[in-house]
Amino acid sequence: MRSNPSDYELAAPGNLQAIVSLIGSEPGKWLPIAGGTDVMVQYAAGKLPALKLLNIWNLPELRRIEVSADEIRIGAGSTYTDLRKNSIVENEFPLLASAARWTGGIANQNRGTIGGNIVNASPAADSLPALLVYDADLILVSVRGERRVTYASFHTGYKKTLLAQDELVKAVCLPRRFSEYFAYARKVGARKAQAIAKVCIAAAGRVVNGSAEDVRIALGSVAPVPLRLTGTEKTVNGKIISADLLRLARQTAAADIRPIDDIRSTARYRTAVAGNLVVEFLTRLNAEQASGDFREAKDVLTKWNALSRDEAIKTILPCCGSRAWAHGMASHRPLTDEAALLAASSDVWRSLTTSDWVEAFQSHPRIGESRAEQPPPAQSVEWSTQEQRAIADADAAVKKALADANREYERRFNRIFIVCAGGKSAGEILEILQRRLNNNADTELQEAAEQQRQITELRLRKWLQG
Amino acid sequence: MSNSVGSRSKVNISLTVNGEPKTLSVYPMERLLDVLRLDLGLTGAKEGCGEGECGSCSVLMDGMLVNSCLVPVLQSAGSNIVTIEGLQAGETLHALQQAFLDCGGAQCGICTPGMILAASHLLSAIPEPTSEEIREGLAGNLCRCTGYSQIVEAVAEAARRRMTP
Repeated sequence: MRSNPSDYELAAPGNLQAIVSLIGSEPGKWLPIAGGTDVMVQYAAGKLPALKLLNIWNLPELRRIEVSADEIRIGAGSTYTDLRKNSIVENEFPLLASAARWTGGIANQNRGTIGGNIVNASPAADSLPALLVYDADLILVSVRGERRVTYASFHTGYKKTLLAQDELVKAVCLPRRFSEYFAYARKVGARKAQAIAKVCIAAAGRVVNGSAEDVRIALGSVAPVPLRLTGTEKTVNGKIISADLLRLARQTAAADIRPIDDIRSTARYRTAVAGNLVVEFLTRLNAEQASGDFREAKDVLTKWNALSRDEAIKTILPCCGSRAWAHGMASHRPLTDEAALLAASSDVWRSLTTSDWVEAFQSHPRIGESRAEQPPPAQSVEWSTQEQRAIADADAAVKKALADANREYERRFNRIFIVCAGGKSAGEILEILQRRLNNNADTELQEAAEQQRQITELRLRKWLQG
Repeated sequence: MSNSVGSRSKVNISLTVNGEPKTLSVYPMERLLDVLRLDLGLTGAKEGCGEGECGSCSVLMDGMLVNSCLVPVLQSAGSNIVTIEGLQAGETLHALQQAFLDCGGAQCGICTPGMILAASHLLSAIPEPTSEEIREGLAGNLCRCTGYSQIVEAVAEAARRRMTP
């Protein structure tokens, strides 16, 4: 049943102050309309309950993009076309630029506004995951004044928001600190344009010293609100992106989301796609970093090849802790790329005596502690802290069990327990430790040596990053 | 554009349609599409879906492509509207209209006015679009005679003719 236009008012006071005081005079009675891409759809279908509409389209106070040193402030009345044309959005906030490009077709991009997308509060909205990733704040305005809230707190349930009945969204503020981040966005829908997403993702992150850092993942259409995958982020941050970690990230993503069956898709499909998107993002993040790291690795090796023998030994020693290994590596110079470096390291390591191996083992702090048997170089201490981060964050019971098992291991094998801890949780390490307590002396020596070889590889990769 | 608050009655608005100034008495929430078709007799813009999905009601408002079914007419007050009827110069078809004819870009005709206005909006921003850019520019306009290839070809042909007069 079509609406009758004579039933509806459309007031157009023409400036923000007059609009805000009108809403304030009858809170909840006026429905603002900007580009009409949501409101007019309901209106045409006879489903628009508000009989009093308030025109905010093309209002100068709402349709401007201001840039300061720290942030970009996007007026809520800015259209997707405005966003696409803005060079700061294009260069520093590519996730928002992609979302603007994917929303509707050109005609809807010319009319749809960022503020409308936020207030309409669809969990499937294209631009909202990007705002979550970029830590957006919203400026809300009413006759009572302005307030600034985090966008992450804005959606309180399906189509429910923090917006008071007399308030209007005035602007979206994005901090300008993500331009160096790797950014990944994808929309999975029935069609490229004019389709509402079955699942969409916006994600960003960095890799620092080989480990994922400040990874941010947000999905649309997988919960009653646009959703930040905090559990998955916690699982990934601080870890080296490995096949094991990708498996874990997929599981955690499935636990983070709350998808439903609806006309566009099923909960099962959405869960599978959400996992695929998270894995694709992390894989690309890792690959992107690797290609950027390639040049740095070349520089590090060129310098190292040119050092005196003593200097070369001293420089590479923190990667392993065995002096014989460091001597062997120096003799293998020149090493020109990562593959040659890692191959030389494995060869040298396998040729060493048991006492050389034990020297390397003793350069590590006992797992769960911070002091090694021998005072190691500062770089080695820093790496150990990163590698064992998951244990530092573990709960007290697991830490206690680890400490007990460590003492048991030392009584039995007369040296500290060595495991390649990067990417493993405290619980997983405890499990490994308890299994290895059953090894005989010879098997355990080989297993510890293999773990040390892997630790050395990871450290060599970090070392190559300078 | 401003009006008094609390009125459900008709208001007078002025706008330019296809180069002609008009003053109309309208309900503010009437759809621009209905005013064009019913009040001004410009039936080139079609109602397909009525919810901004199909693009058959596309017109240019101050040079911007819009779905006229989603524009409350009050928002068009003071603006310059161009519909398909305003594109040709006298008896001479616009380059896009001619190219659509020559390339078989029109079949049943429902989507054609919107397609041509979307293409005109595209060519004003990108005079020599790639096929990918044409597809993006027309992505909001649906054709149900499955004529997309001819439509894309028609837009490319019009661009070529305009570049080599």
